[in-house]
Amino acid sequence: MNLSRRHLLKLGGAALAGASMAPVVARAQTPKRGGTLAIRTWDPPHFDPFQTISYKTHIALSFTHSRLLRHKAGPSVVPGAFPIEGDLAESWTQPNEMTYVFKLRKGVRWQAKPPVNGRELTADDIVFSVNHFLTVKGNANAYMLKSVDKVEAPDKYTVKFTLKEPFVWFLDMLANPHAVAIVAKEVVEKHGDLKKWESVIGTGPWMLDSYRPNVGLTYVRNPNYFIQGLPYIDRVEATVDEDNASRMAAFLSGKYDLGWAFPGTIDRVDWVQVKDTLAQRRPNLKTVEFPSPVMNHISMRTDQKPFSDVRVRHAMSMAIDRKAIIESAYEGVGAINPPVPAALKEWSVPLDKLGEGAKYYKHDPAEAKRLLAAAGYANGFPASMCFTTYGTPVLVDIMQLVQKDLKNVGIDVKIDQKEYGAYIATCFYGKFDSMTFGPQTGFLEPDNFLFGQYYPEELKNQSHINDPVVADMLVRQRRTLDLTKRREIIYDIQRHLAKQQYYVQMPSPIYVGVWEGALKNYGPNMGYDYGGRLTAAWLDR
Amino acid sequence: MLRRYLVKRLLIAIPSLLIASLIVFTLPRLIPGDVVVLMLAEKAYAKDLEELRAKLGLDRPLPVQYVEWLGRVTRGDLGESLWTKRPVLEEIGQRLPVTFELAFFGLFFALLIALPVGIISAARQDTISDYFARSLAIFGLSVPAFWLATLLIVLPAIWWGWRPVTGFVEFSRDPFNHVTQLLLPAVILGIATGAALMRLTRGMLLEVLRQDYVRTAWAKGLAERVIVLKHGLRNAIIPVVTLLGTQLPQIIGGTVIIETVFGLPGMSRFLFDAINQRDYPVIQGVNLVVVSLIVVINLTVDTLYAVLDPRIRY
Repeated sequence: MNLSRRHLLKLGGAALAGASMAPVVARAQTPKRGGTLAIRTWDPPHFDPFQTISYKTHIALSFTHSRLLRHKAGPSVVPGAFPIEGDLAESWTQPNEMTYVFKLRKGVRWQAKPPVNGRELTADDIVFSVNHFLTVKGNANAYMLKSVDKVEAPDKYTVKFTLKEPFVWFLDMLANPHAVAIVAKEVVEKHGDLKKWESVIGTGPWMLDSYRPNVGLTYVRNPNYFIQGLPYIDRVEATVDEDNASRMAAFLSGKYDLGWAFPGTIDRVDWVQVKDTLAQRRPNLKTVEFPSPVMNHISMRTDQKPFSDVRVRHAMSMAIDRKAIIESAYEGVGAINPPVPAALKEWSVPLDKLGEGAKYYKHDPAEAKRLLAAAGYANGFPASMCFTTYGTPVLVDIMQLVQKDLKNVGIDVKIDQKEYGAYIATCFYGKFDSMTFGPQTGFLEPDNFLFGQYYPEELKNQSHINDPVVADMLVRQRRTLDLTKRREIIYDIQRHLAKQQYYVQMPSPIYVGVWEGALKNYGPNMGYDYGGRLTAAWLDR
Repeated sequence: MLRRYLVKRLLIAIPSLLIASLIVFTLPRLIPGDVVVLMLAEKAYAKDLEELRAKLGLDRPLPVQYVEWLGRVTRGDLGESLWTKRPVLEEIGQRLPVTFELAFFGLFFALLIALPVGIISAARQDTISDYFARSLAIFGLSVPAFWLATLLIVLPAIWWGWRPVTGFVEFSRDPFNHVTQLLLPAVILGIATGAALMRLTRGMLLEVLRQDYVRTAWAKGLAERVIVLKHGLRNAIIPVVTLLGTQLPQIIGGTVIIETVFGLPGMSRFLFDAINQRDYPVIQGVNLVVVSLIVVINLTVDTLYAVLDPRIRY
């Protein structure tokens, strides 16, 4: 089945209902200290969060480093929602639309490792980290805070940000686990950068005890963590496990406490195969389903013929049988995405409110052929499609379905398959002649999806879009503090984009978040913040 | 004589290694995708492409880079990883023992299967045990290692909830678990080689057992064990040793998949990651080490001939 908006809301409700029972139990029980949590992880290329966009590094550091703000976690948070709360910041105010003032928690100490040796964290550390984030060469995430004009420390426990222009997503960016991990100046000075595992020193709930390349990471509880009594779990064993069969076997035999796929889930294709066995072998497992924010799309050279003709783009979108993709690739369960993925429930416009553009998400090959003929391509046209497998056969299946659907309306697509590295270096950044097919980063805020992909000259503007109407709305939503008004602008952007079809969006799978029943007070969600989601969780075994 | 032969072979090995080094150096540069562009994409240095290329020393002509690299190699310096900045030799040194151990165990299991089964199969030609052994050999040759590995990992987990050790355990931390975790991957790695060796052992032994001197030995009333093992096997074994020499590089090649499937932090997986990242010094360093090993193995095999067959003189 495919999921309509109504299904999605039900799903969210179910997730909430399932989760909301957990805290009742959790509250009824006293949290236990101790135990070892075992998870599957990925081998980080290195440990410098300011030198890579790799999720492998950012997940590893989510256990050890704090941020100024963070996303609230736990069973009461519906997956796909990201309420903000203080991390190192105890409170904050916004005196005007371009100034933010944060009051820090007092008595926060760095982990007891040289060269910081457990000294107190002060506002100067925040100022250093933000400036380092903004100025160090090679930080591809620096764009997240490019609105910052200056950051100051008026006193030991106060940090003041002044922006160049209003940017209403500022707090979300600070809370995002991609963004500023707070690091100590002494550590950067001692090591030159933060690439070595020995430089992983933060103020987070766990400390990195050991790292063995291609083998795993061991975290131990930070006894001086600034929230008294947390974390409850003494040790986290994160195993690098690159083979799916190996991961599946390890999970079946009870060696991992969270689903082996990102972010603590099991891919539905695997889930369908193992769920009955798991029901027998691990009857205490908990599950919650929620849509993935990772969305595949066709991008195309909209600055060149034939894709500069909107009728061609409409035809391409109508040629795609999204329900068939859900049936074939996602075991019948998926979500149809407008320009902002359905997973971001607060910001994705419901399909029934998409307006005139909604019709382009329906499979109608006859109308697609008529549109192509009207555009002067009655016999279709040849095209190429840049592609990489990302190591997943599911993506190959979807690409083949897309190729077949386009062929049905006369667009004869030749696949230009590239090796991953070559793909990222070229097609991912818009360097292709015709079309590209592949996934987008699963961001947590609509601004990251929309601004990067649609604002002129942005690095990830793969379709080479230069639409002043979109550009104006993108800037306006960034300046609209009022949530309701901002949501309406983002809905309007999506309605406009649905009519334009600069990218042809594909459906997303529905994640199956899975975790060991003995892990209490845990709630799955999207994003890299594994550590944040586990800080207040505890093990009852 | 043997010493003179060895010196001669060592001298021949020098141009072989030089040619190999040239191939090892230039081949990675032919892979589509440029490490500089990759690093720029990752790090968003878009404006500093040339600066980064110069910083990595990739802006000079390829022959100049080759000569510089070769000069460093002769001094035992394989350079630094372009990504992690750690010395390649140090990285290889950490991983080589794991791959060696795996290859050694793989070869050990291959011989453990091949020799007894090949001997029994030849000695009991056209019996049920021979048919069974030959069928097993065909199976071993045709089954892909990755498929067998997947089944041997997943099925026990589904049936009995058992899975091999997760995560690599160093010998110094836990010798028992260290050896245990290598058993299954080594058996899988050794199966195809074992099957090939078994078939060759059987074939060569059958040929030898039909020789006149063997018939004489039977006529003399010698025990079957003595005829087969002492008079037959020793003469049949030389082609097997040759095959063993050629199989060893294949076993090392097979470790790429096995190391990935079983989560072993060996050199092959390191090479695989380096190819994906276009980490030229790592690709070149690992390949050079492998090529050097193959030269040494071939030399050892040649030397073994004289030990196995005293008639061979150099």
